[in-house]
Amino acid sequence: MDALLLSSFQCLPWLSSTKQQRHYSHMHLSCRATKVECESNFYKVLSVSPKSATMDEIKRAYRSMALQYHPDVCHDPSMKEESNRMFVQLNAAYETLSNPMLRQQYDSQLGLSVSHDYSETSLRSLWEEEQHQVVVELKTRSRRRMEQKANRMRAPTRRKDRN
Amino acid sequence: MAEPAYTVASDSETTGEEKTYTLPEIAIGIDIGTSQCSIAVWNGSRVELLKNTRNQKIMRSYVTFKDDIPSGGVSSQLSHEGELLSGATVFNMKRLIGRVDTDPVVHASKNLPFLVQTLDIGVRPFIAALVNNMWRSTTPEEVLAIFLVELRALAEAQLKRPIRNVVLTIPVSFSRFQLTRIERACAMAGLHVLRLMPEPTAVALLYAQHQQQASHENMGSGSEKIALIFNMGAGYCDVAVTATAGGVSQIKALARSTIGGEDLLQNMMRHLLPDSENIFKSHGVKEIESMALLRVATQDAIHRLSSDNNVQVDVDLGNGVKISKVVDREEFEEVNRSVFEKCESLIIQCLQDARVEVEDVNDVIIVGGCSYIPRVKNLVTNICKVKELYKGMNPLEAAVCGAAVEGAVASGINDPFGNLDLLTIQATPLAIGIRADGNNFVPVIPRNTTMPARKELVFTTVHDNQTEALILVYEGEGNKAEENHLLGYFKIMGIPAAPKGVPEINVCMDIDAANVLRVLAGVVMPGSRQPAVPVMEVRMPTVEDGHGWCAEALNRNYGATLDLVTIQKKA
Repeated sequence: MDALLLSSFQCLPWLSSTKQQRHYSHMHLSCRATKVECESNFYKVLSVSPKSATMDEIKRAYRSMALQYHPDVCHDPSMKEESNRMFVQLNAAYETLSNPMLRQQYDSQLGLSVSHDYSETSLRSLWEEEQHQVVVELKTRSRRRMEQKANRMRAPTRRKDRN
Repeated sequence: MAEPAYTVASDSETTGEEKTYTLPEIAIGIDIGTSQCSIAVWNGSRVELLKNTRNQKIMRSYVTFKDDIPSGGVSSQLSHEGELLSGATVFNMKRLIGRVDTDPVVHASKNLPFLVQTLDIGVRPFIAALVNNMWRSTTPEEVLAIFLVELRALAEAQLKRPIRNVVLTIPVSFSRFQLTRIERACAMAGLHVLRLMPEPTAVALLYAQHQQQASHENMGSGSEKIALIFNMGAGYCDVAVTATAGGVSQIKALARSTIGGEDLLQNMMRHLLPDSENIFKSHGVKEIESMALLRVATQDAIHRLSSDNNVQVDVDLGNGVKISKVVDREEFEEVNRSVFEKCESLIIQCLQDARVEVEDVNDVIIVGGCSYIPRVKNLVTNICKVKELYKGMNPLEAAVCGAAVEGAVASGINDPFGNLDLLTIQATPLAIGIRADGNNFVPVIPRNTTMPARKELVFTTVHDNQTEALILVYEGEGNKAEENHLLGYFKIMGIPAAPKGVPEINVCMDIDAANVLRVLAGVVMPGSRQPAVPVMEVRMPTVEDGHGWCAEALNRNYGATLDLVTIQKKA
């Protein structure tokens, strides 16, 4: 099956700065988004280098992202729910990467993630399906904001699915 | 004063922020303490505390019922001590709000000089003030609403604009049910709660602002600072450990307890008059006056012991009971030894939960009315191994100032100097989970989880062909389900017939930034990707008072027939 996996956070432009290969098409929808797929983005979520990021860099990245994406700094009520989602993801990334032991575990898991079995179905994936539309909307908004900030972010490019 | 003292603006709980989204109106910060309250607002460049007509910034939290119109400590012209004697004055409501009559905190309130009656069956206590020799009943919500109306009127008169949005500080230990009671009190006063902020986290935000301002002045990068905040007022004692940098204060851990100055006072009253509970049991007019006299004298003695080594207590309680005694500081500390030990254990626990070593704490902040007690100061500095406490915060004003800053931040106010580029990343003060594995409490969202949060756990059935399951949602730290607060319950129906252990019951909990809790539950059968029945989503809490009854009734009717167990994760 054409497994077009969507992790609601993967497709956000601020995640696309690191050059990670092996990418799934991010504009498509599937209810089969898996845990591994989400996790493979932890470094991207925080926009830090998987190899060299220091604890200090991770903390700083987390804070600056929090100041931009925490629901408390989002004053558009229609976007509250999405910024909630994004922040939850940001936290998951931070919690793993800021803990040396979890980070090590996760790094080794990353190496193995290709062969992981995608059968896990969770409620989370169902919500992601529901949220697809708003995520796309948020993406647009977020991109606009990042462009205004005139820095490293580029509009996301559509990649070919590897299958 | 022809109009009623308060109006019920909305009977429902607050419905979220979307409704009030108009032009940014700066929300005001309110600190309703067990014994004192204050109100502050961001005035465009800094926080300003508002004063009442008697030029007080810190007002007493009490309401006196007289004839028809009750009046609170914000506007009252009379002395608090004098009014106490009549039995018409009700206070300490923050300790009683949202509690049932089996709660030890409610029992400890029975020797206050008004009526707190308990039937010990898990319903709300009967609270009444003595007015013209009649017990006039009231509720903690009503009393809080009366101060809130007075505080609102005070703010509206001074700021010359209508006030609607507020940020209120709350104790860390408040259950979600208690939070709904606070929201109800605000709604009665025509106020909309923008945020309910645990007191030490409000202090943490103020600290973040201080750090931000200091780093601007030094043009430094502002490295991460760890602060320990110890907050002890009349009713509650809370501790927070926070990591602050670049205006972001991340709450790493919270610890909480329902001990406070009130306990110090009651222990001391018992020490001065060992049989006081029996003497005052009948709650007659005379007894109330004696209780109030003893209370005022003891409170005064404790205050003086903060600066003096010993004090003389002389009080005539009437009916031939007289107290004339010298009390020294050591005696006071001995009488309250267990309270101080509890304080110590809270700090140790909070540091552990935050995974922070004492040596890594940069600043130790101590706030609240009890911060003036030498023993309290000592225990904090000893455990934290510091010589100096953080300076630059008024212990009585820090929480309300933090709430006012949060009010401005949450209202979307911009400050040209970056003084409001701040954020508090909150953590859950209590675990939330369900009853499973027999009568155990299984947390789905553990304590000190960063908010907003979303976590899920998978459970399964305990009987073959079990088609229904009861989801009982609790909040707290107890291992047994009944040691926690029941927030709500619902039943999952239509689980496909299967051997026990096969259906996967997914329970997910979601707390958004406005601290709204939603519980979702779905059933997935192995080999299927779709839920077997529609997913249920319930906003909690749904249980009103008397939650003890609810749980008992559910247990009586269903026993273990609708139980669940956790699925052991494959390694």
